[in-house]
Amino acid sequence: MTEEQEKQESINSRSAIDQSARFPVLFFITSASLWLLLAATLGFIQQMKMHNPSFLDHPWLYFLNYGRSNPAFMTSLVYGWSIQAGMGVAIWIMARLCSAEVKNPLTLIVAGHFWNIGVSIGVFGILFGYGTSMEWLAFPKAVWPILFVSFSMIAIWLVTMFFRRKGNNVYISVWYILGACFWFPWIFLTANLFIHVFPGSALAKASTNAWFTSSLIYLFLIPIGLGVAYYLIPKIMGRPVHSFQLSYYGFWGLAIFGGWTGIQKFMGGPFPSWMPAISGAAVIFMLIPILIVTVNQLMTLKEDPSAINSSPALKFAATGIAFLIIFCVLSALSSFLSVGRFTQLSFTSIGYQVLAVYGFFSMVIFGAIYFIVPRITNSQWPSLGGIQNHFILSVYAIVALIIIHFFGGIWQSSAYGKHDAPLENAISSAKPYAIGASIVWIVFLISITRFVLNLISLIFRTGHREVYPTLLAATRVSADK
Amino acid sequence: MTSFKKFIFGISVSFFFPWLCLVVIPHSKMNAEIQEWPDADTGKVNSYPQGKPNIFRQGQIVYAQEGCASCHTQMIRPTYMGFESWRPDFGKEGTIEEPVRIRETRLGDYDGERFAYLGNQRIGPDLSNVGYRHEESWHHEHLYLPQSKRDFSMMPSFRHLYKKRKIKGQKSEYALGNVDWEDDEEAKNYEIVPTERAKALVGYLMTLKKDDPFGPIVATENAETDVK
Repeated sequence: MTEEQEKQESINSRSAIDQSARFPVLFFITSASLWLLLAATLGFIQQMKMHNPSFLDHPWLYFLNYGRSNPAFMTSLVYGWSIQAGMGVAIWIMARLCSAEVKNPLTLIVAGHFWNIGVSIGVFGILFGYGTSMEWLAFPKAVWPILFVSFSMIAIWLVTMFFRRKGNNVYISVWYILGACFWFPWIFLTANLFIHVFPGSALAKASTNAWFTSSLIYLFLIPIGLGVAYYLIPKIMGRPVHSFQLSYYGFWGLAIFGGWTGIQKFMGGPFPSWMPAISGAAVIFMLIPILIVTVNQLMTLKEDPSAINSSPALKFAATGIAFLIIFCVLSALSSFLSVGRFTQLSFTSIGYQVLAVYGFFSMVIFGAIYFIVPRITNSQWPSLGGIQNHFILSVYAIVALIIIHFFGGIWQSSAYGKHDAPLENAISSAKPYAIGASIVWIVFLISITRFVLNLISLIFRTGHREVYPTLLAATRVSADK
Repeated sequence: MTSFKKFIFGISVSFFFPWLCLVVIPHSKMNAEIQEWPDADTGKVNSYPQGKPNIFRQGQIVYAQEGCASCHTQMIRPTYMGFESWRPDFGKEGTIEEPVRIRETRLGDYDGERFAYLGNQRIGPDLSNVGYRHEESWHHEHLYLPQSKRDFSMMPSFRHLYKKRKIKGQKSEYALGNVDWEDDEEAKNYEIVPTERAKALVGYLMTLKKDDPFGPIVATENAETDVK
């Protein structure tokens, strides 16, 4: 077989994998994107209502009160968008890296439908007054079994795919994705059983809630995001990752420290003091694996920095990695008592969550979507300008949000700490920052709308048709897997 | 890292220990140590925690459903992290009518609750001891129209927890006094009264007094340190 024939066969094989993954992956990505649009709309509404309760204050719009729209926004962002989009991208990457066509796509589509039904009941349940007011677990109690079963179906499918792989070589991205698929059901089931089902200390339930939120970030969103980045960066750069050894160390660092995080949120609270202390230490130690992994990826990028400018997917992924470093450094900083006392009960905490979910995870996933969707639809993105707008607006919005939430949170907390000053000072001090954050959410909304319009336009084939899997217009030569 | 079994074993072991220490053990073991001491005057034995729920649990459900915990905390930190138990205009125009033992919240303060709503951020004030600060009627009027009580408030109106009805016979004792009626005729014939959900919520707020004494010596019994 000549080299040309081998290349053609490789293209045909990848094209067949892409086509087999087409329906489930598109289903997950499009439905997640619509959830993202809803989340951004709710994000704007809740941010406006935070400082201006008369905004949309009609008697029949009571379900948009901050207490309901805030958890509805966060849950639709996490469950509707992040986990769903992460799964869609993970399915495609697993299929590609295992060199196996997708079998039983119906299982994935059924699981995806149930996931969406669960999230819909959850988000609308919160809005219509059946929420639990628990951070990232605010869905009505009846929803979690639906989500658990749906996710387990997808996770089992991914493990099956792993065993169907061709060849013995296992890529680091596969380990990251498998790890996340193993941790999520454990974390999710534990949190829901211990909080909703088993009797126990009310405070232990609160600490489990904090542990859940943090574990979901460190043991699901970060591994999936890093796994995707470990696929995208070397693939688009056309060269191997800088150091395989470092990527393994990074993975095991995440595994060792990730489960200990979370309780630092309640430092100084009514808990045995070892709990927040050990969590705070874990968040600080988490800097080690995160820096190992991110430096490894940035070193890979450094070998040809010009590639970032020519590939939108790479641009998004690299920016996501940069935001991950910022997230981990700020989280470590807030784990020290001297800083944490000002950030823990202020709106800094929500800023951190948006930074992790949107700044890191979503940016990497956007990169993956810009890379994957043209391949499975055999079309090109209709508007490269739309991608640029999406990128620039997202980066500006995230940077502004970091500044507003971090410094605004400290300012607000300091004002609250002046116990001899009137309450009005404490309440009003947050207002300018909340107004600033509302403007940022308008930018987010525009940016996300631009992305969703581009995606819908691509799916409905208003872009250019291509016979073979296509590269983005500005993407450089892609190496084979 | 080529063996799936080794991989699963590795991540199971690394996750098992934090899971055990931060979730499983605290759920069964994290209870306040019971302390008992005789009252100096009556000889009656006091205890902390008191072994029964201190809160109106039905109202806590409404508190959760309305998302109050999105803006309010129920956690007073020790003074080395800030003095946050009381401030001059925390209700009742800066006065306290009964002796209050305001202190940082402790392990036993949440006994009997379904979930300890410690909160995420303080857009509004901490509610650990809100039961001391206001009358029931104040809470109802505040929930109905927060800005009528504090013009700087960023709290939304919870008017959906109240209903408008025609006055039949005597006006209800729960009728709100801060309603903007369209005209005098309406003001004369109608009243706004709390629903059962509003009553439950206010009932819950009135029971929020997380300051049970936990020993024979209570700092606030000293007149010099009492908060007035």
